[in-house]
Amino acid sequence: MLAIKDLQAGYGKVNVLKNINIEVPKNKIVTLIGANGAGKTTTLRAITGMIKSTSGHITLNGKPISQMPSYRIACLGLAHSPEGRRVFSSLTVFDNLQLGAFPRLTGSRAKGDFKGDIEKAMELFPRLKERRNQLAGTLSGGEQQMLAMARAIMLNPEIILLDEPSMGLAPILVEEVFKIISRLKSSGITMLLVEQFAVAALNVADYAYVMENGKIVVEGTADKLKNDPAIKAAYLGAH
Amino acid sequence: MDIFIQLIYSGIALGMIYGVIAFGYQLTFATSSTLNFGQGEALMLGAMVGLTLSNLGVNYWLIIPIVCIFGLVQGSVVEYFGVRPAIKIKSEFGWIMSTIALGVIFRNLAENIWGRGTYRFQGPVADEPLKIFGANILPMEILVVIGAVAMMLMVEIFNRKSIYGKAVIATANDRDASGLMGINTSLVITFSYALSSLTACFAGVLIAPLTLAGASAGGSLGLKAFAVAIVGGLSSGFGIIVGGIILGISETLTGFYISTGYKDVPSLIILLIVLSIKPSGLFGKTTIKKV
Repeated sequence: MLAIKDLQAGYGKVNVLKNINIEVPKNKIVTLIGANGAGKTTTLRAITGMIKSTSGHITLNGKPISQMPSYRIACLGLAHSPEGRRVFSSLTVFDNLQLGAFPRLTGSRAKGDFKGDIEKAMELFPRLKERRNQLAGTLSGGEQQMLAMARAIMLNPEIILLDEPSMGLAPILVEEVFKIISRLKSSGITMLLVEQFAVAALNVADYAYVMENGKIVVEGTADKLKNDPAIKAAYLGAH
Repeated sequence: MDIFIQLIYSGIALGMIYGVIAFGYQLTFATSSTLNFGQGEALMLGAMVGLTLSNLGVNYWLIIPIVCIFGLVQGSVVEYFGVRPAIKIKSEFGWIMSTIALGVIFRNLAENIWGRGTYRFQGPVADEPLKIFGANILPMEILVVIGAVAMMLMVEIFNRKSIYGKAVIATANDRDASGLMGINTSLVITFSYALSSLTACFAGVLIAPLTLAGASAGGSLGLKAFAVAIVGGLSSGFGIIVGGIILGISETLTGFYISTGYKDVPSLIILLIVLSIKPSGLFGKTTIKKV
């Protein structure tokens, strides 16, 4: 589905990513874990054209997307729920969801059942249903996270990139977010999940990459990594 | 007393024109944090193109849509050549000089085409004043107010109701995130410039029958409308209407009771006072970012 080969990218002249190779197969959840500043968010930003990659290849269903502007990548069915949620604060919850489906509503992507999908998204995130006509800027952090995820789903995407959904949330909300991710998984979604909260990410993912200083240092099935003593010590907290 | 009320009427009409131009400043400021300092010239071009059409015998009501289309094109040109390069390299100030430069070019061009004189522009309604509350009001002044309000309402409705309008608001909120939604944000910024020039050209056709149309008339109007945008707040739609009316009335009153030579002074003094007391404008919001 999504294949990243020898990706290099950075900010200005500083190269952050060093030869990143990641593959996300269809209907699988792949997670990218690692400490703060390892380059996880930068990887996602390079995939969706928020920063331009300096070398390497990124393909979506075999189609090269490396040098495309963000909006065209989105039209191809790659949804990116960015770090820090980035909901549109002066628009309502409903408007935010509608904009998530912008390519579908403007003819750049198959329209499908837009109304049905809105209802489905509201069912998946009941809090949003209650706040349908409220401005997104007035939502709590947890609700904004739900909205950011629901907005990404509204694209009817081939694949979702989800960046740190647990950031700044109370433990109970983190649990709720991960419950929703596993529900999405059972409906057959394809996802690249970036998380600092490695235990939760490994529990829901099929495959995992561990990042350190802009490089992939370890990769393997989520089960294997969960039980790897070195990983445990470094990222999962050795109890 | 009658003359006072009459001055208020003309002040309101003038203020609504300032309001419409200021509205144009807001449109581009929202999407790209840049302004078209050639807005006054866009207004002048609208008036002059309208005048030419009028002299060719085109009906006033048909002139309006033609001039609006002209505005869309003119605004796109300004954005493409003056603003886009500056945004691309993330230059903070490049667009200021380039929009001023384009404004000067447009003015020189117009002066060469139409000369430096001023011309009468025949409005669509009678020139005989009506009596309201004992004071004279020109039918054209009423039309100006209606036209200005209608224009702003139409843009507001477009922004709030249509998916494309929401894309404009989204771009104003968060440009990167809008790109992730599949919105072509560069195109949205071009569009906001096109729309901003459209409102200015429309204002030009509205105001020309009340004043006179001339190739050199744009600059001071653009500057005063900028003062209105600052006084009312660059983010408040209500603010520019109030700001426009305050400045319009202060101008007509000063022009009559003191001297026409000083008519621009009070509006600029108001600008200085607002800047020192409430820099975000009378109705401007200081935005709070949630992290």
